[in-house]
Amino acid sequence: MTSTNQRVIIVGGGLAGLAAAIRVAEAGLPVDLFSMVPVKRSHSVCAQGGINACNEVARQQGYSEYQHFDETIYGGDFLADQGPVLEMANWAPKIIDLLDRMGVPFNRTAEGRRDLRLFGGSLFKRTHFSGATTGQQLLYALDEQVRRFEAEGKVSKYEFWEFLRPILVGQGDQRRCVGIVAQDMRTMQIRPFRADAVVMATGGCGLIFGKSTNSVICTGGAASRCYQAGAWYGNAEMIQVHPTAIPGADKCRLMSESARGEGGRVWVPRKKGDTRRPKDIPENERWYFLEERYPAYGNLVPRDIATREIFDVCVNEGMGIDGQNMVYLDLTHKDPDYLTEKLGGIMEIYEKFVGVDPRYEPMKIFPSVHYSMGGLWTTFTPGAYQPAEPAGKHEPGMIPPVGTEVGQGMAYGAPNNMMTNIAGLYAFGEVNFAYHGATRLGANALLSCIFDGLFNGVSVVNYVREGVPSTQPAESLEAACFDEASSAEQAKYDGLLATVGTNERDEKFNPYVIAREMGEEMTAASTVVKTGPRLEQCLAKLAELRERYARVQLSDSAGWTNQSLSFARAVGDMLILAEVIAKAGLLREESRGSHKRLDFPDRDDERFGKASVAEFDPATGEHRIFWRDVQTNLVKPRPRTYGKVESDQKGKQEPVGSAG
Amino acid sequence: MGNGANSGGRTRNVVFRIKRCDGPGKPSRWEAFRVPVEPNANVISCLNWIAAHPVTMDGRPTTPVVWDSNCLEEVCGACTMVINGRVRQSCSCLIDEYAPNDGDTITLEPMSKFPVVRDLWVDRQRLFEGLKKVKAWAPIDGTYSLGDGPRESPAQQHVRYALSTCMSCGCCLEACPQYLKEEDASKWDTAFVGAAIISQARLFNEHPTGAILKDDRLDALLGVGGINDCGNAQNCVRVCPKDIPLTESIAAIGRAATIHGFKRFFRGA
Amino acid sequence: MTDGQGFLQRHYHLLRRLHSLAGVVPIGAFMIIHLTTNSSVVWGALNGRAHIAESAAGRGIETFQHEVHFINNLPLLLLTEIGVLWLPIAFHAILGVAFALTGSNNVSRYGYQGNKRYALQRLTGYIGFLFIVYHVATLRWGWSFLTPAGTTWSHYYAASTLAAALKGAAGQWSVAGVIVSIGYFIGVSALVFHFANGLWTAAITWGLTISQAAQRRWGYVCSCVGAVLMLAGWSALAGFLFVADYDEAVQIEERMVEQMYGHEYLLELKEKFADRPEIGRSAVRQAATRPYPGPAPLIEE
Repeated sequence: MTSTNQRVIIVGGGLAGLAAAIRVAEAGLPVDLFSMVPVKRSHSVCAQGGINACNEVARQQGYSEYQHFDETIYGGDFLADQGPVLEMANWAPKIIDLLDRMGVPFNRTAEGRRDLRLFGGSLFKRTHFSGATTGQQLLYALDEQVRRFEAEGKVSKYEFWEFLRPILVGQGDQRRCVGIVAQDMRTMQIRPFRADAVVMATGGCGLIFGKSTNSVICTGGAASRCYQAGAWYGNAEMIQVHPTAIPGADKCRLMSESARGEGGRVWVPRKKGDTRRPKDIPENERWYFLEERYPAYGNLVPRDIATREIFDVCVNEGMGIDGQNMVYLDLTHKDPDYLTEKLGGIMEIYEKFVGVDPRYEPMKIFPSVHYSMGGLWTTFTPGAYQPAEPAGKHEPGMIPPVGTEVGQGMAYGAPNNMMTNIAGLYAFGEVNFAYHGATRLGANALLSCIFDGLFNGVSVVNYVREGVPSTQPAESLEAACFDEASSAEQAKYDGLLATVGTNERDEKFNPYVIAREMGEEMTAASTVVKTGPRLEQCLAKLAELRERYARVQLSDSAGWTNQSLSFARAVGDMLILAEVIAKAGLLREESRGSHKRLDFPDRDDERFGKASVAEFDPATGEHRIFWRDVQTNLVKPRPRTYGKVESDQKGKQEPVGSAG
Repeated sequence: MGNGANSGGRTRNVVFRIKRCDGPGKPSRWEAFRVPVEPNANVISCLNWIAAHPVTMDGRPTTPVVWDSNCLEEVCGACTMVINGRVRQSCSCLIDEYAPNDGDTITLEPMSKFPVVRDLWVDRQRLFEGLKKVKAWAPIDGTYSLGDGPRESPAQQHVRYALSTCMSCGCCLEACPQYLKEEDASKWDTAFVGAAIISQARLFNEHPTGAILKDDRLDALLGVGGINDCGNAQNCVRVCPKDIPLTESIAAIGRAATIHGFKRFFRGA
Repeated sequence: MTDGQGFLQRHYHLLRRLHSLAGVVPIGAFMIIHLTTNSSVVWGALNGRAHIAESAAGRGIETFQHEVHFINNLPLLLLTEIGVLWLPIAFHAILGVAFALTGSNNVSRYGYQGNKRYALQRLTGYIGFLFIVYHVATLRWGWSFLTPAGTTWSHYYAASTLAAALKGAAGQWSVAGVIVSIGYFIGVSALVFHFANGLWTAAITWGLTISQAAQRRWGYVCSCVGAVLMLAGWSALAGFLFVADYDEAVQIEERMVEQMYGHEYLLELKEKFADRPEIGRSAVRQAATRPYPGPAPLIEE
């Protein structure tokens, strides 16, 4: 039995949220879409390089969906559950086709087919792209489709509404999510919304690190609020630091991996403190350290590796440009018109924000926090492919052990796919911890976000139509639980407002100062390289900040569009998530993917071939971290080296299948 | 990264004169702030500083300035405002360029063509309603697997890609002498849609699937507030941060409207 | 919504396009003819077929007068004027003002050339319309009280009445005449700009020029058209103000009337216009009471 008034709430209007909205609305369920910004301005617009999918050209050169899967698992250092990743890689070509039908202006070949480029972690051209603003283009395509549903009355948008908490009913096995409390960021009205399922598609948490490549709404606040309400948070310590970004005063701006995919070379002068202009430094006096150390992949090693090498060259060896933390990313050997055609978007960003034309002058870049592989913990129903023995490394040209039929990796439509530990509460996109393990490969983020929305949107529909909500729809529940949740948020809001003008303004309790100190501490302690003692120090600092936050002072008592209140409220939630990130990093005593512990330099599959899962104790405000097995029965874990050689070896292999 | 990299030597100050307004229907006022300039500072980093130190130049505590922003890379369109009298994104507005000397002044105002929500934050919902009006989407048959999309020449892709980089920031509308502020949402349907919307209509008319709705789009643009309200001042193309050939879009829709108008006249719709 | 607004809604596109079209044809086309005709007072000096006048300036007057006679002898003149000129101009002007009121100029903030032209297009529209009303009222409808010397238009005395209507009695400068002449200069310039710029925007409106390069090229063409018309307008004005000698003009005009319609008709005409104050005060008028002295002697340079 299906109630006619069942609804689904989607929080977040980036790629994952919009894809989910399309899928759910298409199935005939009304959608309420919440976003802190007009959905067209979501952070997905910042994605530049492209979206990965096996394609005919690569296939005929020996590539396959299965190899895409293998690369993703290998790139993620065997920390991701393998079934969902297999399903995602299998679905990728369909997603590209769908986006193509929606009118995404993918770059084209002379024959009018979709063009492809090389990207990190692969030796095949398998990345589809639209200039260097692929994320923007994909987001717009989905935004347009959602607008179509909106015009038809099937989707209601709540833009400039901030998610405050999920509303839960029941205890133990009966616990489920039946709505959310949200606040209008203009009128400051706080109210509950009922829903039979809630999809969190709220993206990453880069702002915890102060300056990152993330947008200003990427505080992780929404994820933290779910976590505090009882949702588990997985692999928090897995934070991707992108190797190439432009440091700025307000944020670090991404210089897409596609710059290297299109031939960009990373180097520093061989001579320490060489003050010559880059053009005046002859070829043999340049140190192309990535190409030297990784002959096979060269500049296209995965991000964590490139980041650590750049960090090593600058911080440990002091070889950065002018002794600063900068290296060159050089495209000046390429034709300027070619660069405009393929990379126009990022060329423009560099030109606008640095004032130098990267077509003629090498860019100066440094790593920056970019993506959170970790996120709300989610589960899934495994698919049909269950080999007797996990497969070994998949070499180009090998016949894949499994086909691309739907449901091989993850059961299509299973209601629990990408559901958190709270029934009815789903996590899609970056806020979902699945798919990327310990490092995300470039151009897999757009894929995972859209895949989540499209593939698992069906799971949401099935849960609403066939699960508990079909017999106990949210609209039939007593109003009390909704009002209670709403009142709690109202009280919190009133409490924050009441801090205005209570005392002399003190910098220590200024939310912006607290946020800045948190960012600096987290960046220093918990990014490229970590150690146990430093993380413990970080946790102590975070504890201090939390104490100071308890006495936070606001400077705006307005009951209308109170932006600083919204920020201050998020800072409290960010501090909690920061603790999870640091604590999980401290407990994971190994190095894996983006998580590099200097005191535990090797991967330890025995103890930590597992996902870290954090659970919040509302009574004490403490975090309980436990470890859950990862599905590894499809591919056997193997060392992740990307063919690193010692620095005395020379010679670079041509990438396989770079034609086309 | 690089959080601590810019901490050294704050030597220079810039004065920000900001037009503030507490909310719809409230009076506007000017407030001035003295802001220390960090290396690579932009308007956003200065506004961040003001948010953390909301004290005016004459030492009076005030509220943090409210403004709209998101990506800070000039691809989301959120942080558009009027800076020194011209509309642009504040994230890409570098202080070294706008105020190279100590004590230089930068003025910030909200966009004038949209209702102010508070301070520098305006409500651009009308823009998104315009996108609905011209059905700016490709009417696909759902999300099922139905093969790939239509093929497209690189030349055609160039045309569409340029149009598709429009981030609905509203610069073209702010600078347009024909686009006027309209607070009453019920009148948006007959108020000028502006260059951004016309250009989006062209974007979808240029796509084989999108073109299925071409007649609907042209019908919408033939009425009051449509293509004919353009006055050819061509400010739009001058202020567009993405260099979108908006005036070409206007002319192209003009041509399509000419043909469509004749067809409709003789067919009798 | 009133019916008027409903009508506007339903036929908005048609009205806007008719507005655009009217500006080019017939109004613009007429202006080209009109300015060509008027400027013949100057370029007519090169007219080899002028045979009454003896001086170069006189040949200009004769050519101009010839053109005026031709136009005034067209059949159904009034009907043509109403249908092809007055109604289209009224239509273009009323809609133009209505449309112009929907904009708000912002040149002070966005001083781009295109924006200046946008603002000028509206300003010249207003000026041009006022000018046309004055021009037609004084020289067509006979509202002679608005001219400096109360001159009533007569197409038989086209050049001389024009000179008098611009400068003052008997083609002599008066204060009012200076004002009117400056007004004409502004009015004519405004209309020429309005037409040339309108031609440029019409090509965008109708979708003839799409690419920016095409718009630029067409811009050059429109600039040339504008420059030529501006030259024609200014030279016509200069011709009537500074070149044409009033007395000589009257002489030529009367001889042309005599040639075309006979001496009797001329006398009738002179009788009819005897009360024209500016003629009364003119040396020619006084001379006319004396016997006709015959053709003026050739001046040897």
